[in-house]
Amino acid sequence: MSLTLSLDFQFTTSIEKLWSALTDSSKLAKWVMENDFKPVVGHRFQFRTQPFNGWDGIIDGEVLIVDAPNRLSYTWASAGEKHTVTWTLQDLGNGKVNLHLEQTGFSNAQGLEGAKYGWGKWCGELEKLLEQ
Amino acid sequence: MSENNQMRDVFDAIADPTRRRLIRLLAEAEEKPLHELTAQFPMGRTAVSKHLKILKEAGLVLDRKVGRETRFRLNASPLREVQDWVAFYSKFWRTNMLRLNQLLEEEEE
Repeated sequence: MSLTLSLDFQFTTSIEKLWSALTDSSKLAKWVMENDFKPVVGHRFQFRTQPFNGWDGIIDGEVLIVDAPNRLSYTWASAGEKHTVTWTLQDLGNGKVNLHLEQTGFSNAQGLEGAKYGWGKWCGELEKLLEQ
Repeated sequence: MSENNQMRDVFDAIADPTRRRLIRLLAEAEEKPLHELTAQFPMGRTAVSKHLKILKEAGLVLDRKVGRETRFRLNASPLREVQDWVAFYSKFWRTNMLRLNQLLEEEEE
């Protein structure tokens, strides 16, 4: 089963500054994680954080869409699950910008079986717990 | 809904390895008194009690007094939130957005 997370955020800034925060590696490090991201279609990158309970702390991605300053999309694979993250920026005027996030993937039934680390493993144990 | 009554976020509660171990231990039995739980950890009962308090605040653990001892048991239902990746990433991005907002505000100054 395919699932989508859909969220909207509004910022008081310019669309160019928001685009830069979403695509500049050093800025991404300040609000997401350390990374080697580049806004280039086909570029493969990693987000890295501290390993956590057997999870290697690595998210692998590949850039799918770069349409400055309106749309950015990449894959997001971690702990046995692969998702697609898509950002849509919309200038609302009056110095406000809407940021729309869509993250799509599959329900964890599939991911759990392939999952080896971290959240996947932990969720697998949870699954058993919840069945009790 | 019970989620709204939680004093503590379930994600914070399970962020610690000791607390995850406590959850597993409690999952194995109907109920366990504090001294039995404490015996499983290289720390004192005060430290284990603090972890149990956090789990209790997240709605993951229930306790009751039996004579002079307190017995703990697992309430797994808040874990469904964690099991669901949509809920997990919703929390993840909302937290990140606070940092993004801060970054953008700093740039305006």
